[in-house]
Amino acid sequence: MDIRIENLLFGRNGRCLLDIAALEFRNGRTIALFGPNGAGKSTLLRLIAALDRPTSGKIFLGRQLVRPTIATRRHLAYAFQEPTFLNCSMRENLDLGLRLRGIAAVERPARIAEVARECGVMQLLERRPRALSGGEAQRFNLARALSLRAAVTLLDEPLSGIDGPAREHLLGDLPQLLARFATTTILVTHDRYEAFRLADDLIVMLDGRVRAAGEKVKIFRNPPDRETALLLGYTLVPQDAKVLAIPPRGLKLGAGQAHFDLVVEQVVDMGLQHEIWGYIGATRVSIPLSDNSVPLPTPGDNVLVSADEIIGFPA
Amino acid sequence: MEELFYGASEAIRLLFAGDSQILEIIWRTILVSGSATLLAMLLGVPAGYLLARQRFPGRTLLLSLVNTGMGMPPVVVGLIVWLMLVRSGPFGRFELIYTKEAMMLAQFLIATPLVAGFTTASIQALPAKLPDLLAILGAGRLNMLWILCREAKLGLLAAVMAGFGGVVSEVGASMAVGGNLQGSTRVLTTAIVTETSRGQVARAMALGLILLAMAFLVNLFLTAIQQRHQVR
Repeated sequence: MDIRIENLLFGRNGRCLLDIAALEFRNGRTIALFGPNGAGKSTLLRLIAALDRPTSGKIFLGRQLVRPTIATRRHLAYAFQEPTFLNCSMRENLDLGLRLRGIAAVERPARIAEVARECGVMQLLERRPRALSGGEAQRFNLARALSLRAAVTLLDEPLSGIDGPAREHLLGDLPQLLARFATTTILVTHDRYEAFRLADDLIVMLDGRVRAAGEKVKIFRNPPDRETALLLGYTLVPQDAKVLAIPPRGLKLGAGQAHFDLVVEQVVDMGLQHEIWGYIGATRVSIPLSDNSVPLPTPGDNVLVSADEIIGFPA
Repeated sequence: MEELFYGASEAIRLLFAGDSQILEIIWRTILVSGSATLLAMLLGVPAGYLLARQRFPGRTLLLSLVNTGMGMPPVVVGLIVWLMLVRSGPFGRFELIYTKEAMMLAQFLIATPLVAGFTTASIQALPAKLPDLLAILGAGRLNMLWILCREAKLGLLAAVMAGFGGVVSEVGASMAVGGNLQGSTRVLTTAIVTETSRGQVARAMALGLILLAMAFLVNLFLTAIQQRHQVR
């Protein structure tokens, strides 16, 4: 189901939190709302779910105007950033969503078993919420949203609160889970890596406005402005009347299409490779060095570094 | 100490002797305080829920009034109700003064803020995102009220216990609007006052113990429901 936004304004206490002239989420895609904290990503998600009312403007779910009604929400599933459950068994928690959506009682146990098995929480179904770890709670949070098999699945920071291997594990499972249970997915994240791993399309948000929207590769290759480039991991180097944007891991030691002088600050031994940290002008940069045959510079050295792909923005 | 034991044995004797006057007073107490608590629940739970969930002009003022009402002296409530129901008062024509109905009304006014206040607190203590979650899952208003109240059942049962405890133990309002008429409006608390003033301390103590036992049994029942799902 497509989602279309027209002239959307949303404010609170006299402060404008969202200002989006036009935006479209295409059916069947996984779209990442990407941006720093306070960019308006979760606010937009809440407006799509009709949990808040826009100050002005319209949001359409297919042809239907989004309103705080059961009819609108029937098309939606939402996993909140902080997993929230009723104080009963996790099986009952999953069952509640299906029951409220009018799924027949005979069908519900099979639906619960399927989604719990796929989300890796089958053995935890009889537990109560307080007996779950952060990672398990996030998996149930996701399972509940996916069990609804809604036309649009909204995921607010689905990996928040999980660290280390559990996070990597869930990140690895998510694409298959979304392919199986979700149609159109909008996920909020401030993590570039997460956005690239999970999404087809990217919507970059900053200060309540959309800075870029489209296929993730196109946006990454052609960020429209330097703030977007910075969010996408580019290194910005002011030079003359321009700002040069170097993509992540785009710098290398030695000559290339565009070169810079680097003053070495420190060389870090990362085990399998080294990382050279230093300054190009006033910009701090890092350069990974996996070739052990290259002689390592020492702090204070002035070395030549270069990049083959560079985008220029007006200063 | 001796009087306490004598009071206890007198209470048992009165109960098992089937003293019709005492049984009638016990029944009247349960009827008046039980009805008042039930009515207070019917109004107090939805009102407390709305105060917890809705934002509207005057909400803070209303909440402050409810919180003040939670500590309102029963005798003041009794006085106000008396002024309303007395023959020369605005509702005097209904001839409710010195009836069980007047006592129920006064006790209802005492219990309602207690029930509403505890309900508001217990609904607000639920996870902040729970109403949003239920809305997204597709719960309508009534369904949401039911699920949230079920989720806040510990607090709601505490609200009922506070309401019942507040009215079954009050004496001022019952005395003022009921008049402590034998065979008509005398309840356990007013009977205790009467027996004490007559110098019948043992009988007063017996009535006191019966009142305590009654309050204990009601609270035991409610606590059992409250704690039933908390052991897992």
